[in-house]
Amino acid sequence: MAAMTPKERVKKFMKREPVDTMPIFSGMGMVTVQAINKMGIRFAEVHGSADYLAGSATCSSDIFGFDSVIVPYDMCTIPEAMGRGCSTYANAEGILYPTVPTKWENLDAADINTDWASKARMPVVEEALKKLISEGKYGVGGWVLGPFTLGGQVIELDLLLKGIKKDAEKVHAFMKKMTAVVIHVAKRYQALGIDYITIREMGSGTDLLSPRMWKQLIQPYLREIFEALESPKVLHICGGTDLIVEMMNDCGADALSFDQKNNLVETRKKIGNDVILLGNFDPYGTLCQKEASEVPAVIKGCINAGVDAVWPGCDIWPDVKQENVEAWVNTVRELGKKATPAVGRL
Amino acid sequence: MVSEERRSEILKNLSDGVVEYEEDRVKEYANIAVDEELDAYDAIMNGLAAGMEIVGDLYDRQEYFVPEILMCADALYAGLDILKPRLKIDGSTGVKGQVVIGTVQGDVHDIGKNLIKMMFDVGGFTVHDLGRDVPLEKFAEEQLRTDAEIVALSAMMTTTMMGMKKVIAMIKEKNPDVAIMLGGAPVTKDVANLFGADGYAESAGNAVQEAIKMIGQLRKLKEHGVPA
Repeated sequence: MAAMTPKERVKKFMKREPVDTMPIFSGMGMVTVQAINKMGIRFAEVHGSADYLAGSATCSSDIFGFDSVIVPYDMCTIPEAMGRGCSTYANAEGILYPTVPTKWENLDAADINTDWASKARMPVVEEALKKLISEGKYGVGGWVLGPFTLGGQVIELDLLLKGIKKDAEKVHAFMKKMTAVVIHVAKRYQALGIDYITIREMGSGTDLLSPRMWKQLIQPYLREIFEALESPKVLHICGGTDLIVEMMNDCGADALSFDQKNNLVETRKKIGNDVILLGNFDPYGTLCQKEASEVPAVIKGCINAGVDAVWPGCDIWPDVKQENVEAWVNTVRELGKKATPAVGRL
Repeated sequence: MVSEERRSEILKNLSDGVVEYEEDRVKEYANIAVDEELDAYDAIMNGLAAGMEIVGDLYDRQEYFVPEILMCADALYAGLDILKPRLKIDGSTGVKGQVVIGTVQGDVHDIGKNLIKMMFDVGGFTVHDLGRDVPLEKFAEEQLRTDAEIVALSAMMTTTMMGMKKVIAMIKEKNPDVAIMLGGAPVTKDVANLFGADGYAESAGNAVQEAIKMIGQLRKLKEHGVPA
């Protein structure tokens, strides 16, 4: 039987249909400096152009053999459209991800403009997704921050965290607003025809919040989001997650993604074999710092721990060592032919 | 002069007020400490800071999480605002030194930095807070401007942590005697050593102890010269 195309592989995998081999993809940024350099542009330039976004995503996958492409790369698109600005560090030496320079001073000041969805770079991202979808070569992913993490981009996080204790009603009202925004953007991306969507509630791990607070403040809104979205849909959380795995699994996502802090073996026991498990190598340590010879053991560790696909725990830091990414891809190609707990093989 | 029994009562209320994040109670007992002429340094270190130490233990035991710590910090500052102006500015109880602190460029996470800043405030340091997302050269400029003995750099992300190495090189080139301290989620002792830092703060509490130790070493160096 002929091998699947990258797009077929990703689409079938996300539906838990048998695939020929484990896809190599992610729900977070996968752009590399090799692609940026090949295009003759700077990292700071890539975020504002649909051509650069789509071109760099495709070029990264062409170079390394990834099965999907995903945009955008930064977390400022929605805050910027809401008037919070975006620092791209155009003159900084080396690579820096854009950040949001101005936040609302308090929860009362958070006044979302009605036409935010068509402002700033929102159309640029949608245009890039359209290009990637029309190319049809790779699986196309989109992502949106979860409501708490998005909230932390537009308002001081400490105000949000203290607000939960001091004025819970106001914080919940704010979370409702953010939830509506997340659903709106994710639905727009889905309407364009992307193959999977990841909701990244990255800042809500137990490094910050207690499991009890997670249940009160995060879970209801994630449930609302996953209920509103079509499959395939992924929930990703960074940092401490071992204490909230079951609650994450109860939010309605088809797949769960974790970073390197998660104990995947225990997680697989907790969630069973009917949910796609994704994770969880340290992207910076594995792809930028380690020797290439050390990478296969990391990837093998993820597969042996029970993942259905090996995902990096966060965005790939673009300045990867080429040989390390090749080692990741080659190891998955070699070891990913066997069925995994939630996804069979042809 | 307050009795030992009264002193214990005031200190306990300051400490408990921080632990229970009761700003009003901390303010009330800070004012009582001032009115009854309890030594301000005693009230800060054995009341407010002692409370924060308990908060640290509660965090380690996963009974408190970041929201609770932030509330406790607010309560501590409520007391510190009242007590700090009463500190005697001398070597034994007051200002221990100056510190320039900030989160490096590209990183807008500053909760950790603010907690470290709080501990420097409690410890009696003069703190020059550059905020977050600070251009790397700004740290060296501010150190030269203030002649601070310590520069404390924070990074929450592995990827922005790399900027710390450049800052250390810039500062050490201009003033090799400055003690540089690193902190933040991705920073380890090995990273601090590799980057050429003088200290590494595993936690807010440990930051000040490290800083005091570093200043002590610097003063010795200034008195006796750099050993051959």
